[in-house]
This record gives sequence, C-alpha cells and structure tokens, in this order.
Amino acid sequence: MNFDMTKPLPEVQPWSARFWEGTRQGKLLIQTCKACNAIIFYPRKACPECWSDKLDWIEASGKGTVYTFSTAYSMVEPRFMDELPYTIAYVDLDEGIRMMTRIIGCDPKEIKIGMKVEVTFFQREDFHLPYFKPAKG
Amino acid sequence: MSKGKLAIIGIGEVPTRTMPERTRWDILYEVCMQAVKDSGLHKNDIEGTVIVSPQAQERLTGELSFGKLPEELGLKGVRDSVVINAGGASTSNCLRMAEQWIESGIARAVLIPHVTVHSTIPLPDVVNFFARAGVDLQWEYPYGSTYNIIMGMMANRFMRDHGCTEEEMASVVTALRSWASRDPNSIFYGKEVPSVEKVMASDLLNTPLHKRESNITADGGCAMVVVSAEDAKKMKRPAAYKLGESVRYFSGSPVMRDFDKVAEGFKVTAKEAMAQAGIKKEEVSIWNCYLAYPLGHPIMAEALEVAPKGQAGKYFLQGRMSFGGDIPWSTIGDAPGRGHTGSGVSAATYVETARQLMGKAGERQVKNCTYVYQNTAGGSGFNNIASIWGRE
Repeated sequence: MNFDMTKPLPEVQPWSARFWEGTRQGKLLIQTCKACNAIIFYPRKACPECWSDKLDWIEASGKGTVYTFSTAYSMVEPRFMDELPYTIAYVDLDEGIRMMTRIIGCDPKEIKIGMKVEVTFFQREDFHLPYFKPAKG
Repeated sequence: MSKGKLAIIGIGEVPTRTMPERTRWDILYEVCMQAVKDSGLHKNDIEGTVIVSPQAQERLTGELSFGKLPEELGLKGVRDSVVINAGGASTSNCLRMAEQWIESGIARAVLIPHVTVHSTIPLPDVVNFFARAGVDLQWEYPYGSTYNIIMGMMANRFMRDHGCTEEEMASVVTALRSWASRDPNSIFYGKEVPSVEKVMASDLLNTPLHKRESNITADGGCAMVVVSAEDAKKMKRPAAYKLGESVRYFSGSPVMRDFDKVAEGFKVTAKEAMAQAGIKKEEVSIWNCYLAYPLGHPIMAEALEVAPKGQAGKYFLQGRMSFGGDIPWSTIGDAPGRGHTGSGVSAATYVETARQLMGKAGERQVKNCTYVYQNTAGGSGFNNIASIWGRE
C-alpha cells in the first residue's frame, strides 16, 4: 500500500502570505478591516463583513482560551500517525477570533475546555504553524 | 388535495454490504429497475434522471455527468439528466431539482438513484479523498484535523455545556444499531446490538469518540421515482408526499463553524418545515435524522426539542429512541447502523422515509406513521435541510 507520507503544508493564498510571514518572525497576525473595523479570521481577499479591500494587520497578544478540543489516539490520516497522540483544539483568542490549532506542552489528559493558553510556533519546513501551550501563571 | 407538490411513488434498494463483486453499474441497474417497477410506471415514462453525485468515484461521476444513465437503462422518454453534488445534502437537492422539473412541465416522472462501491477504491485514494473533502487546506489540514476529530470537538463541547456523559453518548450507538439489526438493508442486519459497555470498551480513537462510535465504509445503492402530488393521488398507490422544507447554511469549513449557530439552525429549520407542512412536533411519527456520527444525535434531539436541554443523552440511554422505544428515531440506524456509503446514507434515509409512509418497513414499521421529519446535511455539515413528509 503506497501512502504519500509527506506532511501537508498550508496552501497559501496571496492575501494570507503576510500571516505566514508573521509567524516566521514569531508574530501572530490578525487581519483587520480599516473600513468597518472587523477582525477577520481566516484572512480573506476582501473583508467578509463589508467587502472593502482596505485590509490591515494587527499583532495578536497570543493569549487565548480553549473553546473545545479532541485528543487523537488512533485512526488519523497516515501522514500524522507518527505524531500520535496529539490534541487539536479551537482556541478563542483574546482579540475575538477562533482558530484551529494544536495544544502542546502538557499531558493531553490535563487539557480542559476554558484552559488559558498562549501561542508558540512549530516549524514544518518553511512554515511556522501557530500552536498553543498552557499559559504561564 | 395534498398540501405538497411532490411525491415519492417508487423505491428500490440493495443491501449495504462490503461486496466488491457488485459493480457500480450492477447496483445502478438493480435499484433503478426496482424503483421504476415499484412505481407502477413503464421505464419510458421516466422523463428525467437526477443523480446523487457518487463521492470519491471519479470515473463513475464522469460517466454519469456525461449522461450515461438514461442510455444504459434504455429510458426512451428522458428529456434531461443531471448529477447533483452538495455532499450529504445532495439527495435533498436532487428532490428539489425534480420538483422544479415537474412544476415547470419538463418531466412528469423523475428517477433519482445513488450508488457507492467503496470496496474497490484503492485505500490510499479513499484516505486522500476523505482527508481533504470539506477540510480547509490552509487552516485545518496542516494541523492533522479529521472528520473524527471535528466531531470529537463538537461532542466534547456539547457534553460539557449540556451535562451529557460518555455513557449516554455511547448509548446512541446502541439505539441506532437496535434499528439497524432489524433492517435487511443494513450492514448490521441480524448482528448483535452492542451494549453501552461494549461501545465504551472499544478503542478510543479521539476523545470522546470510540471505535464503535465511528463509521465503517460500505457499498450500497438505492433509487426513488418521484411524480407530482396530483399524479400520485391519481395513481392510487402508497406514496410519500413532501409537505414542507427549510434550510440554513452554516459555513464552508469546520474551522469557521459556530456550534451554537448549527444547533440553532437545526431548531429553526425544523420549525419552518413543520409550519410549512401545517403540523406540530407532537404529530411527527419518526425523526429520521442523518448526521453520519452518533455523537451528533443528542445535539440534534435537543435542538429539535424532542428532548429538553440536558436530557437527550438520558433519553438514548433509557432506550426511548431505540427499536420499541416511544420516540422512533433514525429507523435505519443512520450511518453507524448502515455502513457509510458516502452521500448514499442520506439517499437511504429518504427511501426509509418513503418506505415507512408507504407502510412497507416490515419489522421496523412504525404504527400509524403519518408524518416523518427528515433532514440532510451537506459535506462536512455546511448546512441543514429539514423536510416534512406525509402519507397524503
């Protein structure tokens, strides 16, 4: 059985390139709309609220809260089998957006809904994926 | 005079199994011929074919979307043929297309088939298809997300907010399989119904999803013949009449999905569909829910107000949704009881809705079945289409 075991990299769009450049610099950037002040995730070509193209970026604090999560022990795509167990979560950033991520830096059994977390970056080839770990303090 | 405009007048189905020796065209022939015979019509009375898109079967999709079905079956009266793809909501949209053709006079009788043969697709191709289908390649896939994990996240949040236990979640499988074990078309027909303990003892795939709470892929197929409600009345045969429908879109990728909005969408669409049908929830004989994963059923049961907040899990555990319970629920056992046949599970739920309303459901026949709530959801759950079907 021939499975392609290459780890997937984000398929970047022109309007999201700045986000990934930011992660390379250790920054978690959030797209914003200058016309209507919307905070946007994931990044778009036009503001999903008002269709303005006057888009900008702010740097997030990197702090957030676990909205929900699930820890995988088996039956994932073969490309990720070597990383089991791992925890995927939705994290609500303090700035008001929700993103999918991984929770690392603790025993998966300690992860709870409502847990405070902070961003860290995980390098895969030329990409630095925003992961989260338990917040200090 | 029926309140509806559309009626299912004929059904055909093959048992869901893992049977690579049955080819896709073998199944298509069988279900289409069964449905046309069941309708009492001649094959050349079929004036349109609207086909549920066969997911992950590229070659067959090409053949069907280039018009092969009417020619292969020798349907001499066909005026048009299309394939429709809205993921798991494809069947609802096939019915809508048929309804439009019938209303506009393009066709008086429309054939709607579906087929899936997963067992002959090379495993890497199946894995590649389901790993990416409906999953965002930038914001989800690189993290190692899967459908199982997304369902696990939804279930964990529901359990925390609604006080639902893992034992109660596991009991949904027992309920669904109790129906499936009595359905000759289910892959689990005649098989032991797993106890809650057995479900919970199966391997943990991802929290809180155990192996028995997941799906197995399978092969299967079914078909329906639909006509106008007016024509169905004249034909004086058992039929299922479409009485109401409502839909809400949620989002195109799970990372953007707001779980509260999804639950609210379930609730609103049910109310709107029932209002259109002119019925109350107390009059619904069967809640025929298509959710693919058992973990979604308590969420749906509370959203539909079949169970009060915090009680759905308990209702399942008490056996109220099981075969013989007082709330007939997903009477083919949804995908966990059926084997996952891609969009075929939603097609099979419509066939079941018709079968129950026609009084042809055998051991599973719900007494005095008058109105059925039937939903479908697209792809990774981008929408919910609620509909109400009745005997007249």
